Amino acid sequence: MTREEYQASLADLRAEVVDMGALVADRLGRALTALETVDEVAARAVAGADDAVDRRYLDLESTCIQLFARQQPVAGDLRFVASSFKIVTDLERIGDLAVNLAQYTLAADRKRFEEVDLSAIGDRSRAMLDDAMDAYRTDDAPLCREIAARDDELDALCQHASERVVRDLIEREVDDGDSWAVEELLDDVSRLLLVIRDLERVGDHAVNIAARTLYMVESDPQLV
Amino acid sequence: MSDSQQTRSQTETRTTGSDQPLETTSGETVEETKDEWVEYDFQGQAKMAAEDLDVYYGDDHALKHVSMEIPEKSVTALIGPSGCGKSTYLRCLNRMNDRINAARVDGSVRLDGKEIYQDGINLVELRKRVGMVFQSPNPFPKSIRDNISYGPRKHGDIETGLLARLLGRDESEAERELVERSLKQAALWDEVNDRLDDNALGLSGGQQQRLCIARCLSVDPEVILMDEPASALDPIATAKIEDLISDLAEEYTVVIVTHNMQQAARISDQTAVFLTGGKLVEYGDTDQIFEDPRSQRVEDYISGKFG
Repeated sequence: MTREEYQASLADLRAEVVDMGALVADRLGRALTALETVDEVAARAVAGADDAVDRRYLDLESTCIQLFARQQPVAGDLRFVASSFKIVTDLERIGDLAVNLAQYTLAADRKRFEEVDLSAIGDRSRAMLDDAMDAYRTDDAPLCREIAARDDELDALCQHASERVVRDLIEREVDDGDSWAVEELLDDVSRLLLVIRDLERVGDHAVNIAARTLYMVESDPQLV
Repeated sequence: MSDSQQTRSQTETRTTGSDQPLETTSGETVEETKDEWVEYDFQGQAKMAAEDLDVYYGDDHALKHVSMEIPEKSVTALIGPSGCGKSTYLRCLNRMNDRINAARVDGSVRLDGKEIYQDGINLVELRKRVGMVFQSPNPFPKSIRDNISYGPRKHGDIETGLLARLLGRDESEAERELVERSLKQAALWDEVNDRLDDNALGLSGGQQQRLCIARCLSVDPEVILMDEPASALDPIATAKIEDLISDLAEEYTVVIVTHNMQQAARISDQTAVFLTGGKLVEYGDTDQIFEDPRSQRVEDYISGKFG
C-alpha cells in the first residue's frame, strides 16, 4: 500500500465511522419517535434491524485492526485509529440501546406516567450523540469538553425522572386484591426505569466518543 | 494539569517561530525553522552529554549546534532521514569522526562529566569505554574465541606470557571465562559453545552481529554505540538483537541509530529525532515521541508523510 493509499484509507475510515454514527443516530431517533407516538410498526422496524449496525461495527473494527497490523500508525494517525477503534464500540452500544427502547415501546403501556417527559430526555441524549460525532468529524476539541459538561444536566434530568416514577409508585393506590394489575404496574415501572437508564447510557456513550475524540485531537486523556 | 502538559505549555511559550513542514533542504530554510523541542528532563543520571556540537565534512555542515544528554543504563534511539546527521552524532560519542580527515568537530562531548574532545585523551581507552557495533557484522577472520579475546589481549586485560605464568595466573582459564561470559551476554553462547575454534566468518549474519556485540562487551565498556545493528538481518535475527539490546540496557548505556521507526519504538526508552540539515528537532520519551510528538515536522516524518 502506498503512502497515498494509506492516507486515503485513514480518510475513508473517518467517513465510514461518521456514516455509522449517522446510522445509529437515525435508529435512536426512530426509536424515540416510536416511543413518543406509541408507533408499534416503527418500533418493530428498529428492534428488528440491529444487524446492520452490528455488521458495520465488525467491519470497522476489522479495518482498524488491518491498519494497525499493516501500517503501524504513529503519532496523530495512531491516536486517530485507536480512537476510532474505541468509538465504533460506543456506537454499537448505542445501537443496542435503541433496540431496547423500541422493545419497551412494544411492551409498555405508555399511558402510565405520562408526566415523565421521556422525549425531553431522549432529545438531549440524541443531541449529545450528534454533537459528539460532529466533533469527531471536524476535530472539534472545545465541543468535546462541552459535551462532557452537558452530561451532568442529562444525569440530573434522568435522576429526577426516576425519582418521580418511584414516588408516583409509592403514592399510587393499587387494589392489592388485583394481583394481575399489581404485576402489570411493576412491569411498567421497571421498564420505564430501564428506559430512563438507557437514555442516560446514550449520554455516557456520547461522552466516551467525545473523550476519545479529545484524545485524538489534542492527545488530552482528560475525559477518558 | 498533568506533568507532560505542563512541560509542553512551557516549551511552547519558550519556542517561537513557525512549525511548518520542511519544504527544501537548503540551509536557510532549516536555520529559520525554530520548532525544536530538545530540552528533555529525564529521570536519572546523564552518562554522556553533547553541548553545541557542530560537525563539518569539508564545507558541509553536517551537524548543527546539537546539545543532548544521554541517560545512563537505558536505550537512546536516534532516528531521522538519511543525511540528517544521526550517525555523525553517534560517531562523535567515541571520536570515530577523528578517523575522517575532512571532518572537523566543534563543541563539547562529556563522558561522566569529563570532556572527551580535549588534548591528551587516550582514544584507545575512550573507545574501550564507549564501544561500537556497526551496520554490517564485521568479525575478524579468526576463530570465534579469538574474536572475543583479541581486544582484552590488546588492552592487556588477559595477562600473557611468562610473567603471567610465573605469577600463577592461568591464562587459558581467564580467557575461557571471558569468552563464555561475553558470548552469554550476547545471547550467542548456546549456539556456538561447541565450535569456538571455528572461523567466525562461518556464522550466520545474525550470529556474526551478536559475536560483534560480544566482542564489544569483552573489553567491559560502559556505553555501546550501535549504528543500524539489525538492518542487514532477517526478522528472527533482528528480534534476537532487539531482545539483547533491552537486556544490555540494564548494565550499559546503549545509543542506537536506526532507520526502522518501529524498531526505535519497540526498544528505546528515549528517542531523538534528527531532520534534514543536521539538526536535532525533538528529543523525549519514546512513548511521547510516537504518540504525541510536539513538532509537526517530526509528526510528518514518523508518520511517513515526508522524508
